[in-house]
Amino acid sequence: MMGWLVLMLIDNFKIAFKNIKERKSRVFLTLIGVAIGIMAIVALMSLGEGMQSAVEGELASLTDTIIVTSGNVNVNAMGGGFSGGGDNYFTQRDIDDINRISNLESVNPVLFGSAIIEYNGEYKPVTLLGMDAVSMSYIFGIDFLGLKSGEFMNPGDQNKCIIGNNIADEYFDTKINVGNKIKINDENFYVNGIYREQGAGFSTETDDNIHLTVRDFKKITGQENISGILIRVSDVSNIEYIANEIEFAINENHGEDNFANVITMSSILESIQSVLSVISLFLLGIAAIALLVASIGIMNTMLTSVMERTHEIGVMKAIGAENTDILTIFLTEGILISLFGGITGTTLGIIGGKIFGIASSSYGGSPIPIEPAISLTIILIGSGVALIVGIISSFYPAWKAAKMSPIEAVRYE
Amino acid sequence: MKHGDFVIIAENINKIYGREDTKVQALKKVNIKIKKGDYITIIGPSGSGKSTFMNIIGCLDKPTSGRLYIENTDVSTLNENKLAKIRRERIGFIFQKYNLIPTLNALENVTLSMSFAGVNFSERMKRAKNLLGKVDLSHRLTHKPSELSGGEQQRVAIARALSNNPSIVLADEPTGNVDSKSGSKIMDILEEINNQGETVIVVTHDPNIAKRGRWTVRIHDGVVSPYVD
Repeated sequence: MMGWLVLMLIDNFKIAFKNIKERKSRVFLTLIGVAIGIMAIVALMSLGEGMQSAVEGELASLTDTIIVTSGNVNVNAMGGGFSGGGDNYFTQRDIDDINRISNLESVNPVLFGSAIIEYNGEYKPVTLLGMDAVSMSYIFGIDFLGLKSGEFMNPGDQNKCIIGNNIADEYFDTKINVGNKIKINDENFYVNGIYREQGAGFSTETDDNIHLTVRDFKKITGQENISGILIRVSDVSNIEYIANEIEFAINENHGEDNFANVITMSSILESIQSVLSVISLFLLGIAAIALLVASIGIMNTMLTSVMERTHEIGVMKAIGAENTDILTIFLTEGILISLFGGITGTTLGIIGGKIFGIASSSYGGSPIPIEPAISLTIILIGSGVALIVGIISSFYPAWKAAKMSPIEAVRYE
Repeated sequence: MKHGDFVIIAENINKIYGREDTKVQALKKVNIKIKKGDYITIIGPSGSGKSTFMNIIGCLDKPTSGRLYIENTDVSTLNENKLAKIRRERIGFIFQKYNLIPTLNALENVTLSMSFAGVNFSERMKRAKNLLGKVDLSHRLTHKPSELSGGEQQRVAIARALSNNPSIVLADEPTGNVDSKSGSKIMDILEEINNQGETVIVVTHDPNIAKRGRWTVRIHDGVVSPYVD
């Protein structure tokens, strides 16, 4: 029985293949439809997975970090927690209370303010950020932020700063390079490093900012308002619990329920992932519509093929083909067309994903270089979807062929 | 009733097309018995009902009433798939217009019905080559129908008809579409097949072809009667 089935499949395959060869151009057009749909699915999945793993990979390095900002500060995903300022600052008591919580690696305040810088006799207002040297290199040193030249400060360094890309390249007539001297509020500073351009990615925080140590910040601005607190925990598995404790302690200090905004990387990751999955879902929806149209195309091609070969179907029945023989012949044909489309689409999707990946990282506009993931699962899903589309869309035409009356079909010319 | 050596027994077969006021009776109370190994020719003008008769005894079409036995099996009650099995195993069809599958070559056309019967690949190829050799087409195995002459195509069709060792070979105007030289070759082959014990039934409108059978019946207006020259 099994052998017979295999034999039948091989035979059907041969017949179907020959029929497809007879009408190459029509099959080709149908195939394009499937290929586009599958290409979209494969490209989206590989990019989606690539995006996901890029995001997770980059941000996973900061999973031990808790960022605390005051409630009215607008927080965005990366390093942007310090942009708002406002009047609600943290107090030394907040810092002390946090320090009393166990399992913490470090607690560091983040200060935020503005200043006037001077370079070659020109003056420009800038935004200042003060943070201890270790935290700064830890937070802003992750792969997709990072410095384009120079290096981060060491603890104890004085009158050194890291400047944003725009400040270095655009604020002044001559570009600022590492090693140049600039004046911040009339104080001389050595440019120790320059951030990479961030563009319109997760964060524009570094492009127009100057980062200093907390000590220098206090010295030149004369203020010590704490806009944010950076906490690193020693045990990551406890981080959500610690975050809650911190939030509770600070809110109590200030007598407000929503004074503190406590953010962990995992909560940021979650929100990024949910945005990514909505985008993927939307794109997959488009791909599904493309496939629906493609399957109508297959059905149409197959119905035409069945109609054109009515006489042939009659002859096959006359020489002894049963309904299932005819059914499988046409099903095989539809599936073959769809599978060809699926394979073409999968290949194009992989190539397309690669090209997008290369384009996105060389263009530089993307905050994270996306390496499209090409897994066996994606290839299997691509061909599997094509197979299902093939079966569904050629079943009706094949059934119609199988049900033909042999005598009427054989008379049909 | 004893069916004995008869391969085909038709009892009171009627075939009516259409219904009520538009109905046409293509066959009227046809009774015929055909012995195993016989060679009969059926003659009649076009529209006489001879193709209808051929289609019914070939199990392609069902009679409106009456009974038809093929080798003692009452086929008038069988379902579509069982009829397909009878056509596949017991009947070999030869059509006036050859009806080969255009996308398949000679060898594949002959093996096709064997593949429906589940014959394995090497056996199929062996049998098909053998049969094509018998009809003098060993040099045309991989030619497609469009690359063959009418006579050659009809010989492929004969090989195909014989592929599943049927007990009955039905030929519907087998020489209708070929030149007279090829036609006589085809008739010689059919005679040869009959000499080897096969039951052969040929439908024709040509008295010269009809003469080649051991006996001939005439169909006129759906009525079968003995043929008098």
